Amino acid sequence: MKILMCTDGQPYAEEAIRFGGKFAHELDADVTVLFVRPKAARGDSIHLTTARKKMGEWDLEIPGVESLKRAKEILSEAGLVPLLPSGEAGVRHTFRESSEGGVELHLIGRRPAHVRLKLREGESAEEILTEAVQGRYDLILTGSRGHKGFASYFVGSTALRIAEFAPCSVLIAKNIRPGHNFLVCTDGSAFAEKAELFGAQIAQALNAQVTILSVAPEKAEQKTAQEQGRRAEMILAQLGIRARVKARVGRPSEVIIDEAKDHDIVVMGASGSSAVKRFFLGSVPLKVIEYGNCPVLLVRERPSAKRPVKARGQG
Amino acid sequence: MRALVELLFKRRWIVVGFLLGGLLLLLPPPAGLTAPGQKSLAIAAVAVLFFVTEPMPLPTVAILIGVFEVLLGIAGPMDVSRSFISDSLLFIMGSLMIAETIVKQKLDKRLALAIVRVTGPRIERVVVGLIAVSALIASFIGEHTVVAMMMPVGMTLVAAAAPEPRRLRNLSALVLLAIAYGAVAAGVGSPSGGARNAIVLAYWKQLFGLQVSYLHWMEYLYPMVLLQIPVAAFVLLKTFRPEVADLRRSIEQLKTRVAEEGTMTAQDWCTVGIFLTTVGLWITVSDRIGLGTTAMIGVSLYLMSGIARWEDFSRGINWGVILIYAGAISLGITMRDTGAANWTAQAVLGMVRPFGLQSGIPLLFFVALLTMAVASVMSSGATVGLLAPVTLHMADLSGTSVIAAGLVTAAASAFTFMTTIGSPACGMVYSSGYLERTDFVRAGWKMNLVSMGLVLLIAASYWRLLGLPR
Repeated sequence: MKILMCTDGQPYAEEAIRFGGKFAHELDADVTVLFVRPKAARGDSIHLTTARKKMGEWDLEIPGVESLKRAKEILSEAGLVPLLPSGEAGVRHTFRESSEGGVELHLIGRRPAHVRLKLREGESAEEILTEAVQGRYDLILTGSRGHKGFASYFVGSTALRIAEFAPCSVLIAKNIRPGHNFLVCTDGSAFAEKAELFGAQIAQALNAQVTILSVAPEKAEQKTAQEQGRRAEMILAQLGIRARVKARVGRPSEVIIDEAKDHDIVVMGASGSSAVKRFFLGSVPLKVIEYGNCPVLLVRERPSAKRPVKARGQG
Repeated sequence: MRALVELLFKRRWIVVGFLLGGLLLLLPPPAGLTAPGQKSLAIAAVAVLFFVTEPMPLPTVAILIGVFEVLLGIAGPMDVSRSFISDSLLFIMGSLMIAETIVKQKLDKRLALAIVRVTGPRIERVVVGLIAVSALIASFIGEHTVVAMMMPVGMTLVAAAAPEPRRLRNLSALVLLAIAYGAVAAGVGSPSGGARNAIVLAYWKQLFGLQVSYLHWMEYLYPMVLLQIPVAAFVLLKTFRPEVADLRRSIEQLKTRVAEEGTMTAQDWCTVGIFLTTVGLWITVSDRIGLGTTAMIGVSLYLMSGIARWEDFSRGINWGVILIYAGAISLGITMRDTGAANWTAQAVLGMVRPFGLQSGIPLLFFVALLTMAVASVMSSGATVGLLAPVTLHMADLSGTSVIAAGLVTAAASAFTFMTTIGSPACGMVYSSGYLERTDFVRAGWKMNLVSMGLVLLIAASYWRLLGLPR
């Protein structure tokens, strides 16, 4: 599994990396930490390269490196980057331009390229999404400053945009709590089933408690909701995970946000609704991410993951 | 299908640009404008749109200018290639090569030591010192070189001033903006200070047959640079109250860092020597052998002595920028040849006449304002390249000095203190990560305003006293 973690050097992002490092370690995942800095020049930027070289001559660090180094320390605390006897992480080579418009630094983990630190330049959400597509990640992990409603409309929450447009699963880690109580939401759809499987995988790695939540929008559908919950329970049971089932009646986003109070992470499938429908009706996962008070794992299958890649080995 | 729509959306400005061009060609030519004139104006309009929206790498715009001049039949292939390369272009190219050679040396460390030795630890004195040195060098070589050399000095000073340098927001802004603003303000000091100056020189010569020497340019505009130094220091110190007033700690740190390098080596002396020789030749003989040829003498000396390596040139110089200047000059010449520049100048004069800005100092004020506005959305080189033919013709038509209009256009294109993308210098200090965009706005609007006042003051008093030709 490949995980992309985003940092901007702020405490909330570092909390998220600490949180993600724990289960990246359990899942034995490859981790890339990405720092996006704003673009400082328009068009060509050879003069910026010259400036950076000069800064290197003076032993000054280019912006972002400091944040990435802190992220590295956090990850090594989680056991992802074994330290050399000297206490330093093994650096394979220094920063170099990578082909797809980033600069990267490899660190030796338990296998080559286990942990990578990467810098990109541009608008943060856009660059994170580009990196996610190019690097074929399975999961993006990001913290959130937690702008809500009106503010997020103007400030434009990076986390929300990533959640909406990412090509893979997204874990928005905010208000992190120490426990491992998973709340897996189901509506019986294929999307929810993917979420159950992915969530179960992580829950298993963390040895977590799982509650399955099935919400019926109206009283009449409560029975279907219970059946859906039971089906999810069976899927998890096949993986050897015992889960509690809860079926409730109400508006799904409100019920989930309410239930989330007693849990440490909410797992949901990304809805398959079109952009137009999302615009008018809103999407339940996005509402939970915006207004909910705990980390949300939004599961989405990478489109290319379904079929084997043909282009491999060409060129 | 969806991929096609996405592709078109990403490149929408290209589509809009070509549609606009086609539309402008189809309109009946306005009164007084010839058909070729209309075509060259259409090219100019589309070029401006592309320069502002950047839907493709900018050198492409320059290439397209040349291509369309030929395709639309307003210039022959030989005319286009001739207008693309000239002595001015060799001058721009040579200046960039010389700058690249200098930045490759480790002169910055020695320079840093010299600055702090003179200024001492008081922050006010350090700021004046940084602005003055930055300005002095930037008046002879490109601002990006100066900032590349000075920026590490500034960052070292800030980083060593306190255990948590990121907290020192005002000190960071003060020190780094001193370097950037010094360099930006001084670029106009001599023809080799910025490529836009070379463009103006080229237009004077090719459009009006006016020859202005290196020394005369300095005579006209160097006083402005000298005035800008105390002004910039005053503005910055008033805007940013430093958290630390005594930089003793930083200077000690800087000295130990620099001490590792030792004294000037023979190569360092050679680098400085060849540079001073070139400047000397520019001042003394360049009006006879050309600024470009003189620059090439310096470049060959650097290459033959082994101080510069060709690989450094191919890697470290932005050749695309040179192409942009070439394309802009070519378009300017075509606009003159087809009468488009004259027609536009007349039209603009007609527009400003009701406001009383049609000649003399008021016209120069308008030229400065227009240039500043355009330079805030386009690179300064492209701004001067596309605007100068019009502003020079406006001056010519209204009986104002063409030289004064050119000098004001060149100077005002550097009034980009407010944005991080307006000039390479500001972009570079912003890329250090020590500054916020708002820092540039806080001090920049004052700098823009004061610089504007300064250039008009000089035009109204000093230039009148000197008696500018034409």
